[in-house]
Amino acid sequence: MRNSSWTSLWVVAAAAFLAACASVNTVERQAPVGKRQMVPDRRVITDQTLNRIVTVLGVNEATISTGLLKIQVELLNQTTSTQNFAYLIEWFDANGMIVGSTSSMWMNRQILPQQTVAITAIAPNESVKDFRIQLARK
Amino acid sequence: MNTKRILVHCLTAALAALSWSGCATAPHVVEGPNKATSMGIDTEDFSSQADQMIQSLLTSGVLDKASHKPAVIVVGRIVNNTTRQLDTDLLTKNIRVALNKSGKATTDVTGGALSDPDFTLSGKIIENRVRQGNIRQSTYTFQLSLSDQTGMAAWEEQKEITKQSERSGAGF
Repeated sequence: MRNSSWTSLWVVAAAAFLAACASVNTVERQAPVGKRQMVPDRRVITDQTLNRIVTVLGVNEATISTGLLKIQVELLNQTTSTQNFAYLIEWFDANGMIVGSTSSMWMNRQILPQQTVAITAIAPNESVKDFRIQLARK
Repeated sequence: MNTKRILVHCLTAALAALSWSGCATAPHVVEGPNKATSMGIDTEDFSSQADQMIQSLLTSGVLDKASHKPAVIVVGRIVNNTTRQLDTDLLTKNIRVALNKSGKATTDVTGGALSDPDFTLSGKIIENRVRQGNIRQSTYTFQLSLSDQTGMAAWEEQKEITKQSERSGAGF
């Protein structure tokens, strides 16, 4: 009797744990057709926990038909829980001067356990040559 | 004895006042990611939705097909179909500023009276509320359309933002 109570308790605890850790399963083409132009990046990590919550897998860039720079940042949540984070994208011209944009503000996002999300952004005008991405915990 | 009691009371009052003032925060500018979020549409939500709309519009290439370079856009009506009082300029102004800065379009604020516009921008904001137990959820759908001079839709986009909050079971 006592044993069965303990077993029930363990089953409930395990179910609760699994429900809390429900992550994301992913399926994609084995050999992707789209060729990504990855940007060699330099990272400054000051928060290791945040780095696990949103790991930057890479930054992909392209120039759209209107001549504007487009970037795509791929992020992975390596933890076993849903996480909230914020990001800020800043744009720079050829002289390294910051280019103001209505979108240059902290944006909030949510990421599921083991999920990969892509953040895309388009440069505010054609003078933009560079970018900087900042990530923070919410 | 009485003086001692008065002194203790004064000290307690002073300590209480100090602790209360210690809890208060003076008004300050918040620039980081920790701005307060409400169940309504916050300024940040308008900005993020406008940003996604602009990205979609610029990527579509429709502005390059306009007869004017840069394209002339009349900003029409954005219908607020939510239960909240919203200033839809928070959305349209962001879009207008971004379009003007991009050099791909200029916006006509006269409603087309002074220029021969290429497109008219119009839209709607819709709210859908759901309540499940203690959980309250509001989904806001942003719909925007860019129609040409013949009234045909040249570009359309729809984005959603969902907000959720949980009420305390104790009823606080």
